[in-house]
Amino acid sequence: MRTILKANHVTKIYGKRQDPSLRNVSFKAAEGEFIGIMGASGSGKTTLLNILSTIDTPTSGEVWIHDISLRSLSSSGAADFRRDNLGFIFQEYFLLDSLTVFENIAVPLTLQRETPENIEKRIRDLAERFGIASQLNKYPGELSGGQRQRASAARAIVKKPEILFADEPTGALDSSSAAELLNALHEANTDLHTTILMVTHDAYAASFADRIFIFQDGCIIRELQKERASRRSFYELIVEETAKLDTDR
Amino acid sequence: MNILMNTFSMAFKNLRKNLSFYSLYLVSTAFVITVFFTFTSFSVNKIMLEKISVDGRVETMCNTISVFLIIFVVFYMSYSNRFFLRRRIKELGIYALLGYRKSAILSLLAFENILVCSGAYILGILAGGFAHKGIVSLISRLLRLGIDNSEILFWDLAAVSKTALFVCAVVFVLIFSNGHFLKKTPLMNLVRFEKSAEKKMKFHKLPALLGFIMILGGYILALDILHGGSSVWIKAGFYQTGFAAMLLIVCGTTLFIASCLPYIMEQSKKQRRKFYTDVKIITTPNFIYRIRSNARTLIMLTLLSAAALTVSGVMALTLYYPIAAMSRIAPSEIEFRIEDSRQTDEVKQILKKHISDTRGVTLIRTDIYKVTSDSENLPPEYNAGTLGNGENNEDILREAGFECIPHSQYTRLLEVLGKQSVSGQAGSLSDNECILIKYLPDADSKSEQGNRYVLQSGNTKKTVTVKAVSMDNAISFANSIGTLVLSDSLYAEISQNQVPSASIVSLNGKALEDNEELYQALSEYLKGSPYLQGHSHRINELLYMNSSTFLLIGFLVILFFIAVGSILYFNNISAVMDSRADYEILWKIGYGEKRLKQIIRKQVRTFFCIPFVLGFLDCIFAAIVYKTGLMQNILGSSLRQYVPVMIAVSLAAIIYAVYYFLTVRACYKTVFPAF
Repeated sequence: MRTILKANHVTKIYGKRQDPSLRNVSFKAAEGEFIGIMGASGSGKTTLLNILSTIDTPTSGEVWIHDISLRSLSSSGAADFRRDNLGFIFQEYFLLDSLTVFENIAVPLTLQRETPENIEKRIRDLAERFGIASQLNKYPGELSGGQRQRASAARAIVKKPEILFADEPTGALDSSSAAELLNALHEANTDLHTTILMVTHDAYAASFADRIFIFQDGCIIRELQKERASRRSFYELIVEETAKLDTDR
Repeated sequence: MNILMNTFSMAFKNLRKNLSFYSLYLVSTAFVITVFFTFTSFSVNKIMLEKISVDGRVETMCNTISVFLIIFVVFYMSYSNRFFLRRRIKELGIYALLGYRKSAILSLLAFENILVCSGAYILGILAGGFAHKGIVSLISRLLRLGIDNSEILFWDLAAVSKTALFVCAVVFVLIFSNGHFLKKTPLMNLVRFEKSAEKKMKFHKLPALLGFIMILGGYILALDILHGGSSVWIKAGFYQTGFAAMLLIVCGTTLFIASCLPYIMEQSKKQRRKFYTDVKIITTPNFIYRIRSNARTLIMLTLLSAAALTVSGVMALTLYYPIAAMSRIAPSEIEFRIEDSRQTDEVKQILKKHISDTRGVTLIRTDIYKVTSDSENLPPEYNAGTLGNGENNEDILREAGFECIPHSQYTRLLEVLGKQSVSGQAGSLSDNECILIKYLPDADSKSEQGNRYVLQSGNTKKTVTVKAVSMDNAISFANSIGTLVLSDSLYAEISQNQVPSASIVSLNGKALEDNEELYQALSEYLKGSPYLQGHSHRINELLYMNSSTFLLIGFLVILFFIAVGSILYFNNISAVMDSRADYEILWKIGYGEKRLKQIIRKQVRTFFCIPFVLGFLDCIFAAIVYKTGLMQNILGSSLRQYVPVMIAVSLAAIIYAVYYFLTVRACYKTVFPAF
């Protein structure tokens, strides 16, 4: 499959700190791939996600998305790039409190100047798929955590981004809400061929991915491939590997 | 004691470490103390008061204004204190979790307030001293009071101690207010202080519609005053109707802001093409959200802004109108009646004595001949000044009749008065034509043009037709009302049958302007004659009599504008701070800096526009009512007369614009360091 994202020797050092948050990280992601990024707190997962999604810039190294070097983008160019190609889901949902769920999901589409008819159709279709069709006219404050996160995922997916970045999307959810969200992401990945990069601590969430990078001290120390394994056996492998990591430390 | 010392040192460290956060509080507090000190210094300045206050009116006004000032400062400081408290709720929650009692937190806040207010007091006194000296020097120069500026103290001890006492009182109010806030806020709210959860709220059509109708009704009622005698203002009474109109507008404004505006915005969402745009989809719901929690503040600001704009507009009109009316009340620089030609020569001697260069000075003598008429439809000017009310018949100053002047003299006078264009329009008159000079414009758009009057002078009767009606009188009203301009030959014919009823001397020229010495010399020579009229003299008299009143009201109005601007400033920054995370999300979604700035500008602009636009409309309608109902209509109805109101509104708009730009800049600074 075609490479959609390429990170080449990415290093990030904050301020005058000697220890880099990321050290020489390199990898490629193929179109339609679901990649999980795991590791202990402070291992550099979120830093990598921020750099890959143009929110932050690397100290050295290069990131390409579709052969476009992210370094070459100006601030407004990066904003346009995010608008046209990327979607985000955050642990804290980050829905706009003063907008209804419908309006929240519509925001990225208005940026793309979609017609009102198209906006309404796409939101209604997606809301059905994410199980939030009856919540569209409510405000985020009136929803449960799971519903909020599904609304947040719907907002990220509605504009059909080529790459979806998810930072601990199940971190604040109970197990059943987490499962619903992960299933929805999995569907988007398989049906819409959206490439997903998801940072998570949770082995169950990670088991939905095709490939997993395990981070430690800013480096990828292990790479796990799902290949033809079932989700259950992949989950067991992840638990085993992360347990090993804890023992090594 | 030890605990108090610890809390004090903690408060001091807090201020030092968060200097940029507290600097805004310090500057805003120092600013209001500067205003307070400047005003207090002014009101205790004996040298100044001796010069401008003759009857104790200024002292009374100072006392009234100081009450408003105290209310303003206390309100403003409570508002900004609450604003900064809101920003620190999470921090206070952490103190509470660490085991600080509420009394300890209150002491911490109290020490911080004492430190900030002490700093602001020193800054305010320093800046206020200079401001006071500057204002006194400016007034002295404007009113030619001849105050020696070196006699004015920078820091008057009485003002310094009064301000210190006041600041202490304000600190107590703030401590009490903070104590009340901490007492009623449960620990849970301190620890988990977040934006209150949004809930769907319905805006009903009825109150929305009622708000709009009430405002419209108030404005229609205000405009009804233009209907003259048939107006409700005359039939039901001026003050009753005024109160009803004000009540309609105040209630209408309240409903309009609280219900109508959010209802309109809610409805505007249905226009999908307009609503589904990158900026509107954010700003429209945000407006509805903010209006819900800020409606009370916005209503208060709108009413404050309406009051300030109305007072400033009416004040500008009150100052301007009598001065503009002088061009009719006393058109010539100096004008008086003489009894014989000898007096003219003596006046010329007085002129030579008080003017170094008499070139350019014109002296025109006009003999007025009085004629009577028994025609129908005589103008009101014919009988003006003849109506005594029973017991005061001895006060009748004038007999009914037309006062005739020749056309050539009329045009000559207009020319020296600089009204060449009017004299050109006057054209020529035949013997059966005349120009009627009106005192007040005709009500109900009736005109005397075309009316025929039979003029009787001795045994001679002449019929003249009114060729034109003019408001451009060349002779003051003290010397002639009901002036009729006749052709030179008809005037000559009338003058043969009688002696003039009055001989008027009109003096004009640059050298006479503002020449008070000459005016006093002529007044002495004419033994204080009521027929002596001076254009510049009357204007100077008006300025001298009213300037202190206008100055103090102006001070109060500026204070109101500053209050509105500052509250809008804090309110907008507070809203932007609360939604900083929202801007970060939008940025991540793909909103560029330009678009985010557009959203910020639009949100701030809306909140600045509502009080200003509604206040502006109130001001315009109030000015119309004031001018029509309470001012004599000497200058006729022309939109030009509202220019001073527009200037006052423009000055207010400049103050608002400055606040708007400062607010937008502060909002950018608040939002953009976040990402």
